[in-house]
Amino acid sequence: MNKRIVNLATAAVALLGAALLSACDDVKTDLKAPVYKTVLKEDETRMSAFKAAFPKEYASYQKNNETQVMTDYKGSIAYHKNDNINPPPHGFKHAQPYLKNLWLGYPFSFEYNEARGHTYAIEDFVNIDRLNRYGADGKALMPATCWNCKTPKMMTWYKQYGDKLWSMDANEFRAADKISGMDETINCANCHNPTNMALRLYSEPLKDWLKRTNQDWNKISRNEKRSLVCAQCHSEYYFTHKDNGPAAKPVFPWDEGMSADDMYRYYMGHGAKDASGKTGPFVDFKHAASGVPIIKMQHPDYEMFVDGPHGAAGVACADCHMQYQRVAGKKISSHWMTSPLKDQEMRACRQCHADKTADFLRARVIYSQKKVFDQLIKAEALSVKAHEAVRLAGAYAGDSAADYDTLMKQAVEMVRKGQLFWDYVSAENSVGFHNPAKSLDTLATSMESSRIAVDLALQATNYGISSAISGDIEKIVPPILEHSRKLMQSPEHLQNHPWLKLLKPFPAAPQVWDGQIRLTSEATAK
Amino acid sequence: MESPRNGLALKCLLSGVAVGVAFFCVLAYGMTTTDQRSFCASCHLMQEAAVTHKMGTHADRACNECHAPHNLLAKLQFKAQAGLHDFLANQSGKDLSCPATSTIRAVVNENCKSCHAQTNVTGAAMDAKFYCTECHRNVAHMRQKPLSTRMVAYE
Repeated sequence: MNKRIVNLATAAVALLGAALLSACDDVKTDLKAPVYKTVLKEDETRMSAFKAAFPKEYASYQKNNETQVMTDYKGSIAYHKNDNINPPPHGFKHAQPYLKNLWLGYPFSFEYNEARGHTYAIEDFVNIDRLNRYGADGKALMPATCWNCKTPKMMTWYKQYGDKLWSMDANEFRAADKISGMDETINCANCHNPTNMALRLYSEPLKDWLKRTNQDWNKISRNEKRSLVCAQCHSEYYFTHKDNGPAAKPVFPWDEGMSADDMYRYYMGHGAKDASGKTGPFVDFKHAASGVPIIKMQHPDYEMFVDGPHGAAGVACADCHMQYQRVAGKKISSHWMTSPLKDQEMRACRQCHADKTADFLRARVIYSQKKVFDQLIKAEALSVKAHEAVRLAGAYAGDSAADYDTLMKQAVEMVRKGQLFWDYVSAENSVGFHNPAKSLDTLATSMESSRIAVDLALQATNYGISSAISGDIEKIVPPILEHSRKLMQSPEHLQNHPWLKLLKPFPAAPQVWDGQIRLTSEATAK
Repeated sequence: MESPRNGLALKCLLSGVAVGVAFFCVLAYGMTTTDQRSFCASCHLMQEAAVTHKMGTHADRACNECHAPHNLLAKLQFKAQAGLHDFLANQSGKDLSCPATSTIRAVVNENCKSCHAQTNVTGAAMDAKFYCTECHRNVAHMRQKPLSTRMVAYE
C-alpha cells in the first residue's frame, strides 16, 4: 500500500517535472505557415489529387458546393442579377433591373448571374449564355482568355501555346476531353505550390503587374499574399488590343491607381491605334442604343478593398473569408470562401471584433450595404436616362445647337464615365462593405457624370428632346427582363422594347453546345 | 545533555525544516513557472495569446500577472480551477471562448487597476466603461491587428 503511494507520488512528480521542462521554450513571434513535402508534381491541376494528404482542407473546400443560402444582398443562389420580379432561384428582391439595358450590344446583356462557390466555376462557365453556343462552327466568339480565372489548367495551356493561347477561341477548350469540369475547376493548384503547399501565383496578369511594379513574390509578406492570391482573379481586367501586344492577353489596368477615377484615366489609352500610330481610348463595346463606347468593369474586389477601412489597415481577404478554425484539435484555415454573413455567429469577424455581438456586426454591414445598393439603383436609372438622351440627340432632326458636335462628344464621354463609375460599384461583390466611402463617392460621381451627359444632350438639341426625355425613366425606357442569344434570333422578341427594336436579329440556329457536350458533330458544320 | 535521544530530535527537526523549505521552494517555483508564457504556450491553443503577449508592451510580465488574482489565497484556488478547466477543454478539442468569460475579464480588469492605480487617481477612468481594455483595446492581445501577425495554422 505504502509502496503504491510512493510510486504514484514519484510518477506525479516526474510528470510535473517533464511538463515543466517541455514547456520552457518561449514562443516565436515570426509566425511561419507549416511547410509540407508532398508526393505531388508542381504541375498537378486535379483537385482530387490533394484529397488524401489534406483531408481537412479538402472537406472544407467542398463546402463551396452549398448553393442555397442567401444573405440580405448576396449569397450563393446563382439568380439572374437583373431579375427583381421572380423569386429565387431565378430572381431576387435586391436585383438591378436595368443591367440588360445598360449592357445592350454586349454579351453581358444575355446572361449575368450571382456568383457562387469556386467549385462551380467551370460548370457555370460552360452554361453561361455569354459564350456563344449556337455557332455551327462551335466557336464561342470569345477568346480563350475567358478561361484564365476558371481553372489551374491555364498553366498547362499557357506552357503549351504561349501568348497564342489568349486569342484562340474559348470553345476549343470546352469539351470534356479537354478539361474535367468538377476536378479541374478553381482548386488547390491556383493558390498553392503542390510540392510544398506554399502560397504561389498561377496568374499571368498578376505576375505581369508585380513585374511592372518591381515586386518580387518571394519578398512579399505572408499578410499581403493572403490577399494577392485572391487578387489573381477578383480584379478588374481587360483584353489587350492586338495593336498593343499579344491579342486578348489579360491585363490589370492598375498603372494609374486602383480607383474608378484612375481606371477611367487609364482607359483614355490602350485602345486601337489610328492611322498615324497613335493609341486611342480603350473600348469594350459600343452601346447598341446610344452608340457610346463603353468600358465594362468586372469584379474589382481587390481594388475596392485595398484602400478601404479593412484593407488600408492591413487586414487580408483571408482574414474574413478564410477564418482560422479548429478541426479535430488542429488549426486550419477555412477553405469555404463565401459570404461571412452566412454564419449566424459571425465568427470570422469576431476573431478581431471579440467585444461585438454577431447581430451588431451584421447590422453594421447592412447599414453600408443598404445605402450603397439604394444609390446604385438610382445611378443605374440615371445612366439609362443618359444613354437615352444621347440616343435621342443623335437622331434629332430638328434645329440643333451651333456647337452640336462638341457638345455631343462631351455628352458621349460623360455617359461612358458615368457607366464606368456605377459599374465599378455594381460589379464589386461586397455591395459597398469592402469600402463604404469609396463606393458612395464613386456612385455620386457616376450620377453627376450621367446628369451632365443629359444636360449636354439637351443643349446640343436646343432642348428639342426635352419633352421626350422628361418624366419617369422607367416609362420611357422600361427595364429589359428577358434577353438571350436564343431570343436574339426572334424578330418578335425584338419588337417588345424600344431599345430591342434597335437590334438586328441573329440568324435562326440550333444550339450546338450543352455544357461540355457538343450536340452536333464537327463534320456537320463543314 | 548529550543524550542520543536529544540528538535524534534535533536531527528530525532540522531535516523536517529542510524538507519543509525544499517543499516550499518547489511549490513556489512551480507556482511561478506555471504563471509564465513559456508554460502557458505549451498548448498550441494558446499560441495566439502568447505571440501577441510577447510582441506587446507587457511582454516582460507573466501571463498570470493579468490572468490570475494577485492575492495568494484566491490565486491558488483560481489557478487550480482554471487549469483543470483548460486542460479538459483542450482535451475535448474545444476552442477558446470569445470574448473571454466575464470571470476572466473581471480578474484581468482588477489587475489593470492594481498596477496602474497611480495613473488613474484623479481621473474617473472606471465610470464610462466596464473594462479598461474597452479603450486600451490592443492590450487585449492585439485583436485589431491582421490575423497573419497573430496566428498560423498548425498540425
